[in-house]
Amino acid sequence: MLIEALLIALLAGLAGVDLFDGLTHFHRPVVLGPLVGLILGDVHTGLLVGGTLELVWMGMVPLAGAQPPNVVIGGVIGTAFAILTKAEPTVAIGVAVPFSIAVQGCITILFTAFSPMMHKCDAMAKKGNWRGIELVNYFGMAILFCFYFIVAFLPIYFGADAAGAVVKAAPQWVLDGLGVAGGMMPAIGFALLMKIMLNKNYVAYFILGFVGVTYLKLPILAIALGALAIAMIDFFNSNRAQPQAAAARNVEVEDGI
Amino acid sequence: MAFNDSEAALAAKAEKRMEQALATSSVERDDYIDTIPAEPLTKKDINRMAWRSLALQASFNYERMQAGGWLYTLIPALRKIHKNDEDLRNSMKMHLEFINVHPFDVTFLSGLVLAMEQSKEKISTIRAVKVALMGPLGGIGDAMFWLTWLPICAGIGAALALEGSMFGPIVFLLLFNALHFGLRFGLAHYGYRAGLGAINVLKNSTKKISHAASIVGMTVIGALVASYVRLSTPLEIHAGEAKIALQSGVLDKLMPNLLPLGFTLVVYWLMKKGYSPVKLIGLTVLLGLVGKFMGFL
Repeated sequence: MLIEALLIALLAGLAGVDLFDGLTHFHRPVVLGPLVGLILGDVHTGLLVGGTLELVWMGMVPLAGAQPPNVVIGGVIGTAFAILTKAEPTVAIGVAVPFSIAVQGCITILFTAFSPMMHKCDAMAKKGNWRGIELVNYFGMAILFCFYFIVAFLPIYFGADAAGAVVKAAPQWVLDGLGVAGGMMPAIGFALLMKIMLNKNYVAYFILGFVGVTYLKLPILAIALGALAIAMIDFFNSNRAQPQAAAARNVEVEDGI
Repeated sequence: MAFNDSEAALAAKAEKRMEQALATSSVERDDYIDTIPAEPLTKKDINRMAWRSLALQASFNYERMQAGGWLYTLIPALRKIHKNDEDLRNSMKMHLEFINVHPFDVTFLSGLVLAMEQSKEKISTIRAVKVALMGPLGGIGDAMFWLTWLPICAGIGAALALEGSMFGPIVFLLLFNALHFGLRFGLAHYGYRAGLGAINVLKNSTKKISHAASIVGMTVIGALVASYVRLSTPLEIHAGEAKIALQSGVLDKLMPNLLPLGFTLVVYWLMKKGYSPVKLIGLTVLLGLVGKFMGFL
């Protein structure tokens, strides 16, 4: 178990850096799930849990810089526990979420603690020490890596047995209840996106997408491409309308003179 | 939010950012000593900058946001441009001022800034451009990546993964990064080549691009709500002898996915009232447990 826990911690460390630097998004649950599954010898469950957690986190993105519940720790710990305790993918959400919220808080503290480093950088800039500033950035990434490594390692190495016992002892209605809650959870992420984006101009498009799946049973990609077509029509129409509007304004000015 | 803001709100934000930048400034002089434009940067220099931009948030902190990583992105090019040591120091100081730009389309700004550094513009001019573009770039980045492209790629990837297919993660990574790296490198070169002329193009098209992205994003979110929010009830209605299942007999006849839509709208409404996502997650778990215990879910 030690080697598996270390490998998962290594993966979490790299993914934790990717969350802020790199941004290839291999830190999303849909990728981390099967990778953790690979380490623990159950890729299939990893895929199912990863897919489930991906939906929960779909809307939880750092909009305008605000930190959402941590997606890396959620994905890693949720998947690992689901495989180790043989729980349902939806129950994994119940395990993943508390950890991810705690880590979200830690990240905020980390970013506050890093502020004084900027004054060190100021001093380096004054001396023209560009090497030092590069090192500060490497140092920042190294701290992130270590932080995620530890936060993923401890609960998986020490907590897996305890979690297994808890899952076994929990009454069925609790597990089912967590499952139901897991099914509803994606709504929170979607609502978060809607809160940022939705205004009366866009309600029509929301309805269009909803109807496309509910009644027409279209796949997501088909709906996305249809929406892209509408957006392009709109974009080029407004481009065509603008020169005329500008011309009209010029005429008005001339009339004024 | 950012990209739906009025002109006045945007201007107020830009003013606040300028204050934040100046508050963290330690620049001593406004113009470079050596004012002869440096040799143009090569494609390789720009590519190097784009690679380095991946570390934009390496030393992220709440005082200067991405200042450290932003300077890290520019260092090799700045060293090539400023042969005068004092100029280099001054330029580095300015780039350590507060900056908060979107991690995906940042290279547009870094390309543009390098073009200005190369022609030895005044420091206050370069700062003004940085401050002016933070807002619009943030709005476009949010609209394109967080609100549109990630949900689309993740929706497709998760759907495949839930069927147990390894193509889920692979398709997700390829799709997402094709646009991500295409834009990152494309914008770096575009920003550098277009120079100051690019500012007007960006200012004029910010609203239009965000609007187009919002159309796609909102449609996809409507589709995702219908596809992936799961909520149904096992309740039955007793009408004399006959039993009717509430879900299949009544709700689905009214409209399929009625409960998921209703729940999403309730969450949306609560969020507008100021409920945090964490609180809503807690309430959802509670609702699931109570619902299962009482038997209405």
